Amino acid sequence: MSLNKENIETEIKAKIVEIAAQTGDDASELAVDDIIPATGLIDSTGLLELIAWYEKTYQIPLAQEEINVDNLGSLTRMAEFVLRKKGLL
Amino acid sequence: MATPIHVPRINNNDDEVKILAFDVAVGAKVMAEQIVGQVETDKAVLDVTAPVAGYVLGFVGQPEEVVKVGSVMLWLGETAEEAIPEITSDAVGKTGSHASQITAKAKIMLAQHGLQVEQIPAVDGRITVEVVERYLSQHGLVGTKKGANVAAASIPTETLPEVSGSQVDLTREEKGMAATVAWHRDFAVPGYIEIEYDLAHWADYAKRFQEDKGLLMPPLLPLMASRLVEIAREVPRLNATFVGNKRYEYDSVNLGFTIQAGESLYLAVVRNAQELDQLGFVNSLGDVLRRAAGHNLRESEASGATIGFSSMERWKVTRHIPILPPHTALMVAHAAGQGGRGVLGASYDHRVLNGGQVVAALKKLAQPKKD
Repeated sequence: MSLNKENIETEIKAKIVEIAAQTGDDASELAVDDIIPATGLIDSTGLLELIAWYEKTYQIPLAQEEINVDNLGSLTRMAEFVLRKKGLL
Repeated sequence: MATPIHVPRINNNDDEVKILAFDVAVGAKVMAEQIVGQVETDKAVLDVTAPVAGYVLGFVGQPEEVVKVGSVMLWLGETAEEAIPEITSDAVGKTGSHASQITAKAKIMLAQHGLQVEQIPAVDGRITVEVVERYLSQHGLVGTKKGANVAAASIPTETLPEVSGSQVDLTREEKGMAATVAWHRDFAVPGYIEIEYDLAHWADYAKRFQEDKGLLMPPLLPLMASRLVEIAREVPRLNATFVGNKRYEYDSVNLGFTIQAGESLYLAVVRNAQELDQLGFVNSLGDVLRRAAGHNLRESEASGATIGFSSMERWKVTRHIPILPPHTALMVAHAAGQGGRGVLGASYDHRVLNGGQVVAALKKLAQPKKD
């Protein structure tokens, strides 16, 4: 899958759906602009798993101060952050 | 009084290590901090040093033998003639099990005579020196080889069940869990206590903190763990263990926090947590938890917990009784609330703490510190 915003959003959403399913939640209706922690679809452990996967998948090691709502709060923000880190945005 | 030298932990995923060598002989005088031997895992080799000066009384284990972390490797005495104390085989720490408890000294005597533990009829479920001596006397084997470099007898393997099945090797994490549970069973005198509390205080506080700091991760549990660190700093016996009939209060607060990552359960450790302010702790814990989630914990982050925090809120569990990590006396149990009320519990080592002290700690933890 090529590295464009829509594809990244799709990949991240698939991962969120997978993580949410671990605790019996359905994240299939998650919208690109939904603030992920505010939805309650995945808990803090699920968010950790998501971030660990995100760093590894997109090869972008994160500093703790980068892990905030502005950078990673929604599917759109997470996708844009990947592109920014890679100089594609 | 004789002093045991315990098998050190090299990293949290290895609850068994191999004895590589002993650098000293029975009867030898050693100085404090002198290297007495080495142990290894497949990742590292570690020198084992004497905590105090003394004379080598005997070895419990031999080179190439795989032993449990925390078990006794050898004994030092104030004199070369001092007797090795009676401790149970659980403290000796060999892998495997046996229906009877056997003391370390009795085990050494068995090794000296080439006997196996199953040959000795236990008395009241225990095999002590007296029991072994009686057996030796009855069988014309009186006398021990004083001063010999002795090794413990091997432990018989556990009998397989009658029902057919197959044995599956454990992963490192599963071995670690088994060893942790065994420490809890064999060494701690576990108790459990819980209190009910109002969830709103912490929920409101954490929400404000998250908004103020712009955090992605809900900081509730890290903030509660940070508060536990503060409480442990104020009450040192909470951050302690029990060794050699004494309470051992740690100098630093190393907060162990359980995290389930896939099939693996980690105890991720923030070392020297007492030196961190609230945000610093939240960020540090976030770092180690993120590495745990990615199965990339550093060795220093996977061992050395002095106090623990565990939550099963994720699984909607409303009450759980955690296992104490080795060499800790308190593990807080956080769980999912119901109707605005929650249960805050703790497993504790009754050798170190009593119920009242644990309740006092939990009451402090039940709400954020008032500024």
